[in-house]
Amino acid sequence: MRTKLAVVVAGIEVLLAAGPVVAHHSFAAEFDAAKPVKLTGVVTKVEWKNPHTWFYIDVTDEAGKVTNWGLEMGSPNGLMRAGWTRNSMKIGDSVTVEASRAKDGSNNANAKAVILNSTGQRLFAASSGPLQ
Amino acid sequence: MMAAAFALLSFLTPSSAAQAPAAGQAGAGGQSGRGSLAAAHQPTPRLPDGTPNLGRVPGEKGVWDVWWVRNMADRIVGAAGGGDSTRGEAPVDLGSSDTSVRGGARSEPHVPFMPWSAAVYDYNSANVSKYDPEGYCLPPGGPRLMATPYPMEIIQLPEQKRIIMIFEGGTHVWREIYMDGRPHPQGDALNPTYLGHSVGRWEGDTLVVDVVGFNEESWIDYFGHPHTDMLHVVEKFSRPNKNTLHYEATIDDPGAYTKPWTVSWNINWSPNGELTEYICQENNRYLLRLRDDFGQPVFGNR
Repeated sequence: MRTKLAVVVAGIEVLLAAGPVVAHHSFAAEFDAAKPVKLTGVVTKVEWKNPHTWFYIDVTDEAGKVTNWGLEMGSPNGLMRAGWTRNSMKIGDSVTVEASRAKDGSNNANAKAVILNSTGQRLFAASSGPLQ
Repeated sequence: MMAAAFALLSFLTPSSAAQAPAAGQAGAGGQSGRGSLAAAHQPTPRLPDGTPNLGRVPGEKGVWDVWWVRNMADRIVGAAGGGDSTRGEAPVDLGSSDTSVRGGARSEPHVPFMPWSAAVYDYNSANVSKYDPEGYCLPPGGPRLMATPYPMEIIQLPEQKRIIMIFEGGTHVWREIYMDGRPHPQGDALNPTYLGHSVGRWEGDTLVVDVVGFNEESWIDYFGHPHTDMLHVVEKFSRPNKNTLHYEATIDDPGAYTKPWTVSWNINWSPNGELTEYICQENNRYLLRLRDDFGQPVFGNR
């Protein structure tokens, strides 16, 4: 089931929650905390790897156009400590992601939190930074 | 004023509140223990010979929960607002973007920059640490080993007259501190390396480590304070109670700073923690996307 691009929020609420705690490389060199995005889509691929786990989702907009987004999270060790396992999110799952968009305008973003829509569970997506 | 504003905004922020259960889950996962009050009141563990034990008590788990000290200029001993050990608790990052706090050398009059090191620091500030070697999965050197936010352990081997420190992050590195009284190698026998050459001794209950022989490939911190191969670091490790590692480092680099400067912070014991694997080099897509100031790939095909 393809779900809809939910909302692109540009408010101080999300800005404040957007702790750039990517400890591996510069957050600000690649992502913009002032460009928050909230995406709902279906998981197409998960790369459970160091130094950052990346996953990809197909997001369908109101016109029916499907866009594949790439989302960066923390490393597997950091994600495990935040309550994840490699099977928390599988291909085909519907998820809602709170993220910060890439500065280059691509469909990449740095995820802050992932909501597993089947259960409503919200998992913190950052690497092992001060927020963890 | 600022703190009040943040407190108010945090209160108004539903997603901030929603993060609290996630933090709780992390604790249930066995890696919590930061700021455990119970541990704070427990005395310094000691080895059978009375030396402070900077690692695990036999039969127990535990790791040092290193937190992200991004800018060591904020931790300078004796400078306004810096070096206070009470600031050692992991700060809550309220989401300020890197750009909002990067004032360059001009904003750090308490760092004894030379003109060239100030210029390099300004460049690293302006591009928000885009070229940070740790982003390339290269290891930190010197104090940044204790400022890269992954757990670490200190393993004392007194019968072998050496101490091993192992770091989950910082590219999964280890360091060896010679406790046998040897001097540093002299001249070309001292090969410049990322972590340098470390010799240690006990001064009372404080482990004092003298480090030289750094190469110039690392940064002093995430914010990009540079150093040269003339860098000489004197570190002091102490454990005033079971829960706390007090870390202090004097950065003496006559090639980059006009006088030595000393930084310090505290690191908490995570009593249920254990090290896990972190192989940074596995899939570092950041390198593939990284472009230089002229739009060319920094790595890979040109």
